[in-house]
Parts: sequence; structure tokens; C-alpha cells
Amino acid sequence: MEADVVAFDCDDVSLTYSAKSGAPVEALQRVSLRINPRRVTAIIGPSGCGKSTLLLIIRGLLAPSAGRVRFVDAQSGAMASAKPRMATVWQGFNLFPWRTVGENVSFGLEVGGMTHSERAGRARRSLAQVDLSGFESKYPRQLSGGMRQRVGLARALVMEPEVLLLDEPFGALDAQTRLVLQEQLARLVEKSGTTAVLVTHSIEEAILLADTILVMTARPGRIAAEIRVDLPRPRTMATTHLNGYSSLFGQIYGLLRDEVVKAMATEMERA
Amino acid sequence: MLDERPSTSATVKRTTGSSVFNFIQKLGEPRVVGWIAVAFVLIMWEVVVVAAHLNPIYLPRPTHILIALLAMFKTGDLFSDLLATLGRIFGGFAVALITGTLLGIWMATSERVSAIADNFIAALYPLPKVTLIPLLIIWLGTGGPFMLTISALGAIFPIVINTVLGIRQCDSGLILAARDLGASNRQIISMVLLPSAVPSIFAGVRLGIGVSIILVVAAEMVVGKVGLGARLYLAGQVLETEQVFAVLIVLAILGVVVTKIQDLIDVWLNQWRLS
Ligand SMILES: Nc1ncnc2c1ncn2[C@@H]1O[C@H](COP(=O)(O)OP(=O)(O)OP(=O)(O)O)[C@@H](O)[C@H]1O
Ligand SMILES: [Mg+2]
Repeated sequence: MEADVVAFDCDDVSLTYSAKSGAPVEALQRVSLRINPRRVTAIIGPSGCGKSTLLLIIRGLLAPSAGRVRFVDAQSGAMASAKPRMATVWQGFNLFPWRTVGENVSFGLEVGGMTHSERAGRARRSLAQVDLSGFESKYPRQLSGGMRQRVGLARALVMEPEVLLLDEPFGALDAQTRLVLQEQLARLVEKSGTTAVLVTHSIEEAILLADTILVMTARPGRIAAEIRVDLPRPRTMATTHLNGYSSLFGQIYGLLRDEVVKAMATEMERA
Repeated sequence: MLDERPSTSATVKRTTGSSVFNFIQKLGEPRVVGWIAVAFVLIMWEVVVVAAHLNPIYLPRPTHILIALLAMFKTGDLFSDLLATLGRIFGGFAVALITGTLLGIWMATSERVSAIADNFIAALYPLPKVTLIPLLIIWLGTGGPFMLTISALGAIFPIVINTVLGIRQCDSGLILAARDLGASNRQIISMVLLPSAVPSIFAGVRLGIGVSIILVVAAEMVVGKVGLGARLYLAGQVLETEQVFAVLIVLAILGVVVTKIQDLIDVWLNQWRLS
């Protein structure tokens, strides 16, 4: 049973946060983009440009102030009959601290009404996918940052999502852990054929993982450029020595530099 | 601290060589010092009362208080008083815990309910609850319903207020995560908001149970026929000072036991709290 292949579009999505005190914050300004099915799309941009906000809107957890998100059948271009199954891996992990690792992973199955024994089995398999077998009865506080985010990944994967949303999943981790997890993630996404949207700060991470890279401007966030990555897979550390890699890196860095400087200037103003 | 860690061979020889020295060293430990002080006061009390021929109506001897306490337990009277008081405290407290938590959840999740309840709480919370005893007697009489109500009134305010606080402080990221995983509003309340508010609710319970104890004992002193408060008041009326002290001791032990149990629950609740 092959699920419908669903792409989705953001059409002129804008979002303004109305602050209780002070001026409203315009986070996103007329963002239009297409996310292709079974591909990894990376979104990269300076801090505070509205990347997390965009992800919440795509997930349907936040309504845009203007514009809309449409799910379309990739072949016919018609509106999709149903939203795809989606799951998110969060920037700050967002694990439930009073639940064990196993209970965290099976949360989504539990609210979906699955029986205890069935969801325990699924949680165990999902944890095995991220190399965390045997940690079911630990609490999140007993784990390192890298392990916590692997729990976050397992909690999303157990939902068998058609679209996986990743908000700077490895941003809080040290460089070595990050490398290992990036490779792990690349393998998992390739194997399952899910659509993935990866928000990141790291140009290297974007190039190693993505098929398409969307570069955003400083706040209010807009899409500055859409860049295709045609480097061969599987991509590893060796990829970073290819000529294609360094020219891509240079191109993206050039786009980002000015925006990061702008973002820093607005941050200074606000402080 | 330092002399507990024999690092040189000389001190090792000294500590193992002399058990008298060991004993003296133990006497210096803070816990032991605390108990020695208590024993000292009790002995001085006994000595002074005997030596000065104080009238036991004013100040009975500690040994006589202990004898009175044992005698009261032997007849079973004090034990049934204790049970009656405990039943009133924890019965009312259970009512307060359930209604207070539910009301707190309702307030924290609905701005309208919160706006309505806020005014009533602002009016009733600062009022010393003992002042409600006469009114409650007029309305409810002096039986079980009155005792449960006064006990529940003592505990409910801190529980409601702390439940609201705890739920409002819930990390919004956890709520988003739950929604992302498909939880309904109801499931978010029971599986995210409530568990994350538990430490805060428990802080309210700590405050509340203390007020409940005070109110129940006070109410028993005013109208009770059984219960520790009633026993205390009666003993005072007939100048049985030894019995007055005996009841005070039982009340003090009750307080200590309740506090210790709460400490244990605190440790248990903290096991999953993120560092
Ligand atoms: N709930 C909110 N209320 C008001 N302003 C908000 C809210 N959430 C975010 N913002 C503001 O909107 C802007 C975009 O926030 P967002 O979290 O989407 O940025 P981001 O690109 O994910 O940043 P980072 O790289 O630091 O994760 C920021 O300036 C932020 O301060
Ligand atoms: Mg973010």
C-alpha cells in the first residue's frame, strides 16, 4: 500500500507575532517554497529569522497571518485528499522529563490508543534504529545531550511519518556527536524514503544531508535563494574534499554572510 | 570534619587505640550535640521542678507527663482521639486536593473561569480561616460535615493557586511536542499539563496540610467532643496540666511525621526533574 506522494507548497506565508508589550515582531514575510516528496530540503538562515516559526506553520501548529500551506499530489498537482503523517524533532529536544525513554518514544502511540504491549514493542524497535537499545527505562535527565536527541528522533520515527520535520536537531550538540548523528540521520532518511525538512545553522550539515537548500534572509525572513545539491550519495566526510562541495559552500556562505551581519545589527538594536 | 579522616598513621593509631577517644569524638557530632541539648533541658526541667517544689498545675515533671501520656494511650482514649483528628484532617484534605486540582486546571486553561475565580480567591484567601468557624457552625452544625469543610477550606487555597501556577509554567515546547504527536486537548491536560504541575501542586499540598491541621485542632477545641483539640481543651479546663502536655507531644509528633512523609515524597518527585 503505497501512500500518496504528497508535496507541499507555502504560498506567500507571512507571520507577525503580536507582542503583549512593545512592537509586534514580523517573523516571516511572504515566504513561498515547495517541498518535494522523498527529498531532503534544508532551510538555512541567520538566527532569529523565523526558521522555527516556518516549521510550526508547515506542521499546522501555528496559523499564518497571511498566505497558506497546501498539500498537493506530486503527480497530478491536485489538492491532496489528506494531510501526510508528520512528526517533528525539536531544537530543544522537548522530551517529557517525567516519562522514561520508552514512555517518551511511545507517547504518540499511546495517545493514538495503541495497546501497551504493542507500543512497547514498537518503541523498542524505534530505539534500536537510533542505537539506544536497553535505555527504555532510563529518564531523559540520565542521558547525554546526543542521546536525548536520539530519543527525540526515535519518538518521531516511531510515528512512521511521511514528512519528518527537523528543527536544528543537532544544534545543541558537540561537533563529534553531531557528525555521527548526521550520518545516522542520512542513512535513516534514505532507507525510509521520507520527505524531510531540515532547519540548520550549519552550511556543512545542509550540504551533506540535503537535495535542496533554501537560504533565508534576516528577519523578517524571506527565501533568498534555492540551491540544488547534486553531489553524489552517500555523502561522507570525503565529500567535503570535492570541488563541487567547496564551490557550493562558498556560494551559500556569500549569501548568508550579509544576512548574518544584518541579523546581528537588529539584535544589537533590540538589546 | 578533618578529624574524621585519619590520613596519617599517627592518627590511625590514636583512633583505633582508644575507644574512649572514639566515644568523645562521636559526642562532638552535630546530631549528637542536638540530642544531648534536648536531654539536658529535660533533665534540668525535672531537677528544677523537684527542687523548687513547683506546683504541677503550672509545670509538671517530664517523667509524670510521660506516665500520663502512656496512661491515656492505655485506656484507648487518646488513640481514638488521634484517629478522629487524623480522619478529619485527611478527609477534608482529600476533598481539597481533588476539588482544588480540578478547579486549578479549569482556571489555568480558561481565562473566563480564571477571571471569575480570581476575585473570590482574592477576597477569601487573605481571610484568617479560623474566623469562618462561627459562620460554618451556624450553617453546618458541629458534626462531621463542619469538620470536613473547615479542614478542606484550610488546604484548598494553596492547592488551587499552586496548581494554576504549575500549569501556567509548563514548558510550551512540551505542549507543542504533544500536539505534534497527535494528543487531543484532553490528553494534553492529563498527560502533559498535570504531570508537569505535580511538583508545584505538591508545594501547595505542603502549605495546605499545615493549615488543615491548625484549623481542625482549633475547631475541635471550640466544639469537639472527641479529637485531640477537644482532649486538649478539656484537660486544660480541669487543670490536668500533665494531660495538656501529653496531647501537645502527640500533636508535635504528628507534625514531625507529616513533614517527614512530605520530604520523602519531595525526593521521589525530584528524581525525574531535569538538572
Ligand atoms: N511566541 C513568540 N512571541 C513573540 N515573538 C516570537 C515568538 N516566537 C518567536 N518570536 C520571535 O520571532 C522571530 C523568529 O523566531 P524563530 O524562533 O522562528 O527564529 P529561528 O530562525 O528559529 O531562530 P533560531 O535560529 O535562534 O532558532 C524571533 O525574532 C523571535 O524572537
Ligand atoms: Mg529556531
